Amino acid sequence: MASKYIALPHGVSEQTFDAAISAFRGVLGESNVLVSAEQLAPYIKTMMPVPDSDHAPSAALMATTVEQIQKIVGICNKYKVPVWPISTGKNLGYGSAAPAERGQVVLDLKRMNRILEVDKELAYALVEPGVTYKQLYDHIAERKLGLWLSMPAPSAIAGPVGNTLDRGVGYTPYGEHFLFACGMEVVLANGEVLRTGMGSMPGSNTWQVFKWGYGPYLDGIFTQSNYGIVTKFGFWLMPAPPVFKPFVIQYQDEEDIVEIVETIRPLRINGIIPNAVVIAHALYEAPTKARRSDYVTGSGSISDEAVRKITNDHNLGIWNVYAALYGTQEQVDVNWNIVRQAFGKSGKAKILTEKESAGDPAFAYRAALMRGDMTLKEFSLYNWRGGGGSMWFAPVSQARGGETLKQMSLTKEILARHGLDYSGEFIVGMRDMHHVVDVLYDKTNPKQVKAAYECFDELVSTFSAQGYGIYRVNTAFMDKVADTYGPVQRKINKTLKKALDPNGILAPGKSGIRL
Amino acid sequence: MRKTAPGAGAIGFMLVIVIAIAAATMTKAAFAAPPAPNGGFVWKDGPEVYTKVCGYCHEQGVGPVIRGRALPPVYIRNVVRNGSRAMPSFRIAEIDDESLTKLAEYISAN
Repeated sequence: MASKYIALPHGVSEQTFDAAISAFRGVLGESNVLVSAEQLAPYIKTMMPVPDSDHAPSAALMATTVEQIQKIVGICNKYKVPVWPISTGKNLGYGSAAPAERGQVVLDLKRMNRILEVDKELAYALVEPGVTYKQLYDHIAERKLGLWLSMPAPSAIAGPVGNTLDRGVGYTPYGEHFLFACGMEVVLANGEVLRTGMGSMPGSNTWQVFKWGYGPYLDGIFTQSNYGIVTKFGFWLMPAPPVFKPFVIQYQDEEDIVEIVETIRPLRINGIIPNAVVIAHALYEAPTKARRSDYVTGSGSISDEAVRKITNDHNLGIWNVYAALYGTQEQVDVNWNIVRQAFGKSGKAKILTEKESAGDPAFAYRAALMRGDMTLKEFSLYNWRGGGGSMWFAPVSQARGGETLKQMSLTKEILARHGLDYSGEFIVGMRDMHHVVDVLYDKTNPKQVKAAYECFDELVSTFSAQGYGIYRVNTAFMDKVADTYGPVQRKINKTLKKALDPNGILAPGKSGIRL
Repeated sequence: MRKTAPGAGAIGFMLVIVIAIAAATMTKAAFAAPPAPNGGFVWKDGPEVYTKVCGYCHEQGVGPVIRGRALPPVYIRNVVRNGSRAMPSFRIAEIDDESLTKLAEYISAN
């Protein structure tokens, strides 16, 4: 007899799952427990080059309160049913809303979306997991609180809890998001509720202003992990500066990344340029202005000549350095002179401000991101190859020119071997650079799906063999990346898992961690 | 203290949005979405969903233009729930069925 479920959790019989579903319905009500194929369809679509059925959930639960979540973990422990918690579910290119393993129950916290507090003077927010950046942005604008968000490119539809817990980044001076996290509430697998840092003390009013508390700092173990379900999350907001001056610096050769990084590192470390700078390759920006089919025929990767033609036709550099200055007019004027002098030395840089870039769609969306405004323009990337295939390849590099050039060349060479283009950028760092490459392919084309999978696999293997670690990865490659960090780290992660979640009910497989 | 009070703030926010949308679009009288079980955010009507989600791609040259084409509401619902190529799918938890109905009617008719 065919199952009434589209998938079952690993090792759980249909009869046992029936009992679990019945119990979930008792807690959440019938309409908040989704099991039909139609209801679960939105959870299944991913951008990864593996069958979507590999990541099909058995059910989805829409919880809205801490008490419900405590009861849910109780049921999961009783029936040994694994749950995969999501917040806004827009981890696009990293697995979207689908679970790590087929049959896991998605615990969907999108409707747990209260903005609990925004403090204007101390410039912080406390929110629930389902709050989107757009919701918080509107809340702040409506009340004229004068605070800026930092968010990733999927801004409007993503949210601060999920992004920060996966250690995502943004583009303002607060762009390294976990640095600005302050206080979490976590439902543990045993149903207890932990408030980290100062939040553990009854009556404390410093939960969102002092990160460390007393004793071991625990917040880190609830990021990129499966040791608890974060139900409240505090983070700092940036007071809106009186003056914001975005600019772009264009360079016309790939080897110029060396000069760019060597020039920008002291400016970043010394705080002259305060924000998470982006050094974007031409092919990262081109989709906002150009169509690939106008420059490429055939199935292989784009040629250097075609990229050069795109940059000439559309006012792009081969490298495009987006950064901004923030502060009073006097501060901005002083720092602008320092920036211009530093980049003016070699004569290679072309420096453009808002004035020279008026009407340029790439500059416009980059400027919006650097001041925390909502824009989804970066999704133009998905039109480059079309077909909805995307994986973020994200190795970390030292902020040294020679290292960034080496990583770029290596990535481009491997991508080209598989017929794929280098759509990459270096972002964030003072001492590091997050090298972020969108591995774009047509998911409706089986040959490209195969090529994309093999390419990504080779990228991970080759980079790790050279000592380059990947800081975040999609759900199809979590175990492979976990292995690159060695057996001792995997063992300690497992030890923590056994201690905190002895039945392994919370997101088994996240970051390669399971019993 | 000038902290924002979630309850009062949410009501103020709702009023402004309702007034703004009524003035801007002159849509049919919207029927109220069910209140959020915990006092959280809920969509007011189709235009709000369109502006705060769809419009960021479909009004910006990222996704195709979808307004003014009399697209069938059932087709719109299907694409929203299942996604299409690079367009992500949207779950019931994000856009509830009632709001999706209003959204599809709005896109189809405008």
